[in-house]
Amino acid sequence: MLLEKAISDVKESFQEAILDVTEFSGERSIHIKCDRILDILSFFKEAGFEFLADLTAVDNLTLGGFERFAVVYHLLSHESVERVTVKAYLPEEKPTLRSVESLWKTADWQEREVYDLYGITFESHPNMTRILNPDTFDGHPLRKDYPRRGRIERSDFPLVKRGIRKEDETP
Amino acid sequence: MNHDDVKSNVLTTTLESAINWGRKNSLWPMPFGTACCGIEFMAVLAARTDISRFGAEAIRFSPRQSDLLIVAGRISIKMMPVLIRIYEQMPEPKWVISMGACASSGGVFDTYSVIQGVDQFIPVDVYIPGCPPRPEGVVESLLKIQDLVDKEKLSDYALSDTK
Repeated sequence: MLLEKAISDVKESFQEAILDVTEFSGERSIHIKCDRILDILSFFKEAGFEFLADLTAVDNLTLGGFERFAVVYHLLSHESVERVTVKAYLPEEKPTLRSVESLWKTADWQEREVYDLYGITFESHPNMTRILNPDTFDGHPLRKDYPRRGRIERSDFPLVKRGIRKEDETP
Repeated sequence: MNHDDVKSNVLTTTLESAINWGRKNSLWPMPFGTACCGIEFMAVLAARTDISRFGAEAIRFSPRQSDLLIVAGRISIKMMPVLIRIYEQMPEPKWVISMGACASSGGVFDTYSVIQGVDQFIPVDVYIPGCPPRPEGVVESLLKIQDLVDKEKLSDYALSDTK
């Protein structure tokens, strides 16, 4: 219903930005270049996919793909109960794309989470800071080249000793 | 007052053991519950195992009013500075129970963000194994803490070089 028309309209209007359109177990995915993301998502929003169900990212380092990173938008139409996935591919060097916070307020924290864990920055985002890790954290731990056991962050704390601390002692 | 009245009404002891007796039977726990062990700890407080039988039912959520810290759950790198601060805010004498696999060793969470055992940074008196431990395990650890309290020396808490 809405989905087939929206996909064919997007294919027509943004021909140069679309890399591929795939289907897996009934779910349609549109793979695009990252520079037109705001236009394409506004187009989908006007076409009836008015709900941003999820916003996440994928590191394609070991998977292979068009580029190293992909930011994934899951859209839902409440009217026709259809879903569509938009995948925007970003290069390894300086991964940056436009924020969709102007379209959906919920994107605010989800984009911060993507920034925190993948190091993908979002232009014109109101508060592009870390959301889960401490502000002093160095690196982006969900990247596939980040060591699973971390660098030193989980063992880098002061040792607290037993007994009453004297005035000039530091913990 | 004759001699027999004195014998049946007066008990002599040391000040140290009188204080330790009072302390061990009125431990005020501060639960630092960050995961499912925190839920299990609520069961310890409930009717079936009921730690008020051991005088430890006065749960305080202020470290300044408690003398037993129960670390129940995994501690992340963002939470560890908070735990250290809470431990330091507790008045001496104080004891620490590390409840469950996550607090004692990181458990299954061998990742960058989870502390692999709180004993790396704060002193721990009793460890409880289990994921989560059974309430009986927590009661056993409380009894172990009571044994430790009984062996306290008052002289350990006197500052020898107070200015």
